[in-house]
Amino acid sequence: MNPSKRKFPVFTAIAGLAGAVFIVLVLAGKITWFSTEPPLEFNPNMDHQFKAIPQSGNTFFSDRKSVREPVEGTVARGQDVYPLQQGDLDQAEVLNVNPGVPRTDFVLARGQNRFNVFCSPCHNYNGQGESKVTTRGQWAGIPNLMRDETKALSDARLYHIISAGQNLMPSYADKIKPIDRWAIVYYLRSMQGIEGTASAPVAGADTTTNGN
Amino acid sequence: MFSRRFDLGVKIGGAIVGTVALCVFAVGYFGVRNDVLDVGYRPEQPVPFSHKLHAGELQMSCQYCHTGVEASAHSPVPSTQTCMNCHTVVKAESPKLKLIRESYETGKPIEWVRIHKVPDYAHFNHSRHIRAQIDCKSCHGPIEQMGVVSQVKPLTMGWCLDCHRNPDSRIVGARPISGIFTGALHSIDKLMKDSAFLYEPIPAQVTESMPLTEPAYGQWATALPAHQVDGIPHPKKAGFGPENCSACHY
Repeated sequence: MNPSKRKFPVFTAIAGLAGAVFIVLVLAGKITWFSTEPPLEFNPNMDHQFKAIPQSGNTFFSDRKSVREPVEGTVARGQDVYPLQQGDLDQAEVLNVNPGVPRTDFVLARGQNRFNVFCSPCHNYNGQGESKVTTRGQWAGIPNLMRDETKALSDARLYHIISAGQNLMPSYADKIKPIDRWAIVYYLRSMQGIEGTASAPVAGADTTTNGN
Repeated sequence: MFSRRFDLGVKIGGAIVGTVALCVFAVGYFGVRNDVLDVGYRPEQPVPFSHKLHAGELQMSCQYCHTGVEASAHSPVPSTQTCMNCHTVVKAESPKLKLIRESYETGKPIEWVRIHKVPDYAHFNHSRHIRAQIDCKSCHGPIEQMGVVSQVKPLTMGWCLDCHRNPDSRIVGARPISGIFTGALHSIDKLMKDSAFLYEPIPAQVTESMPLTEPAYGQWATALPAHQVDGIPHPKKAGFGPENCSACHY
């Protein structure tokens, strides 16, 4: 072969250089290499211990759940069980007594925080419905919390709705602690611009289904 | 002394062995690290749940599903009931949600694949970091932009300590989308109209830090400041994290 005709292999060189740079960047952790396989462990010493890790499954139990159900008829320490069903409206007026939660800015801020987390997906940040979720899905009639019917409900009744649910709305008793429910009630009242009443003015006057 | 052929063989053989040894060393030395091995772990989940849709487009707070993260060490993966709060109505017939519906009927939990894991001898407490108003994004990355979640931080001890020593430059402050309680009231107008506001860190509101020592069960060693209320987690200022061994290895 005539040496003068031999060309420098430009493309091969560039491809080789690019490959080398890529490998170096992956090794240096600058490029993320996505993988569906669990990461390699070179020294798995004591990384995986035979103990119950929350929600991680456990071969000790026959159903392989590490999170155990409470024994039937027992209540865990510090656990709050809401005793009423959706329909127990009259009892709710009597049972749901505000335990003296102060109406401070701190509590209102907490109410807004919990409202934005748990209520705003449907009721929106201003409580008037038409949120990102409800305008997208096939939801019928998310009530506007600023209307007069909701304003007329007692604090105890609002607490009851949060705890037991109503119509499409499920119970949030497992997600929102009692004191946070009262904080939400305070925050809702402050958005409505009214004080709210501790319990319904006329007991049993509004026991029909509420909402749409 | 040796033949020309043998000499050449030694040279070529030496070059090959040397290159292979160098490659093995490079991969072993640089590649066997958690920011190469663990970062980018993106397993396929049994149900194709998209955080991008739920947290990004629908603006649902992290804590709507991961409830209890502010009260417990473990950030819970939601129960099937949480999915069914909405999916009894929305996409109730979707084939992608078949497993969810089956789980709801039989009570058998869905086996989500765990992505983020520290070794069992290291204890990470979520509630402590949430109370210090450290956003989820600090360790989990911008989850609201991920269709399929992957690990973005190495979660090594060195990485933990980096942040414990230099929190200010590494912590992402609490964002409204995370649902982290900061003690501040937000403007409703801003929440309604400014979508970007939800995803931006807000400056920490609390200036004083609560003592690090845990009080005895059921009683606080120090009286709460007047503006705080017992039963509501009071945010504290993020400061330097502990660096002693027994803070995490106990």
